[in-house]
Amino acid sequence: MSDSAHLTEAERQTLADGSMATRQARGLQAHLRACPSCAADVDRLRMIARRYGEPAPRDPVLAGLWPEIRSRIERRKVVPIPPAAASPRPAPSLRRSVLLIAGTAAGLAAAAVLWLRPARLGPGPVSDQVRARDSIQALVLVADSIRSYRDEAQVLLDRLELQRAMIRPEAMASIERDLGVIDRSIEELELAIQRDPRNPTLRQLLVSSYRQKVEVLKRVGNAG
Amino acid sequence: MTLSAEPTATPHDAEPFADAVRRAQQGDVDAFETIYHASAPAVFAICRRMTGDDREARELVQDVFVRAWERLGTFRGESALATWLHRLTVNRVLESMRSSRRHAALIDGDESADAIGLESDQLDMRLDLDAALARLPAGARTVLVLHLEGFSHGEIARLTGIAAGTARAQLWRARRALARWLIP
Repeated sequence: MSDSAHLTEAERQTLADGSMATRQARGLQAHLRACPSCAADVDRLRMIARRYGEPAPRDPVLAGLWPEIRSRIERRKVVPIPPAAASPRPAPSLRRSVLLIAGTAAGLAAAAVLWLRPARLGPGPVSDQVRARDSIQALVLVADSIRSYRDEAQVLLDRLELQRAMIRPEAMASIERDLGVIDRSIEELELAIQRDPRNPTLRQLLVSSYRQKVEVLKRVGNAG
Repeated sequence: MTLSAEPTATPHDAEPFADAVRRAQQGDVDAFETIYHASAPAVFAICRRMTGDDREARELVQDVFVRAWERLGTFRGESALATWLHRLTVNRVLESMRSSRRHAALIDGDESADAIGLESDQLDMRLDLDAALARLPAGARTVLVLHLEGFSHGEIARLTGIAAGTARAQLWRARRALARWLIP
């Protein structure tokens, strides 16, 4: 506390937000008890935090934002990364991540090829008309996602080219090797789709591969 | 500088949307809609208070939820979903501010009190808190809102890229102005 009769601005502010050391705050409590002017001012400053904690008025427009959010979700990404495929812990090495991702993609592709043949033989309980409509919608969404990921991957690859000079040669070689694994998986899936263009699962797997490529490129960008 | 992806859990962090989160993580957009309707008001409140602009806040709300969808796979439930979304929101708003002209105001701690009207007396009409926050300049508003959202001076300095002393000075000025404007 200053020599003057009242608390300084710093004392009032730090008392108000609780950032003053306990011992010092305790020393100033006596002054607050004896000085209504300082006590009222500190309370005025504290009031802002109290008012802030009150529930904010709801914006009636918020409910109307959802359709656009949904549309963006479906247009851009479609599928969130499942917990098992995400990288929750602090970065395992890039190479390990990439191999894990590529392995998962390749495994999924192989499983899909085996699973799809019998699955497409018999009709399900859903009417053919409904199934056809849903399948067309799904194909459109997936095609959008593939395009979106492909574009994003290209942007990130361009950025990687710019960063190339700053990346150690051995790290760059490793990145290219890992991206090559994913690219081969993409090529195989694209060939499979050419043979079976209406197969939604193959397209989802292609989306997944592109998404993994984007994730890898983003990690490289973040690491740089 | 961004906030870490997921803060440490606390015992009271019971997750009221565990089922919706799980389904959304598996690609169920309808489940995510449930999360949106429950969480959007809080996300919007932060966006509006940090930007001081309703329209911009609504755009940011959309960005936050699109991003939340994309990153939902990384949410492990170690904190409440609300806490995770809160951090995502603060990061998104700061990112938006950095990419806009307001970044200059954010890092320029020398906004003169005169120029920004912080020294003006109580306003003729009583403002509500959000309107008063909107009157603050971007830098002072950001610092004050982050402080009121529970960030320490050090964290605020790191997040906004300004010196801790500057952040503190902006906080005090902003709080003083609000007290003057809001209390009859």
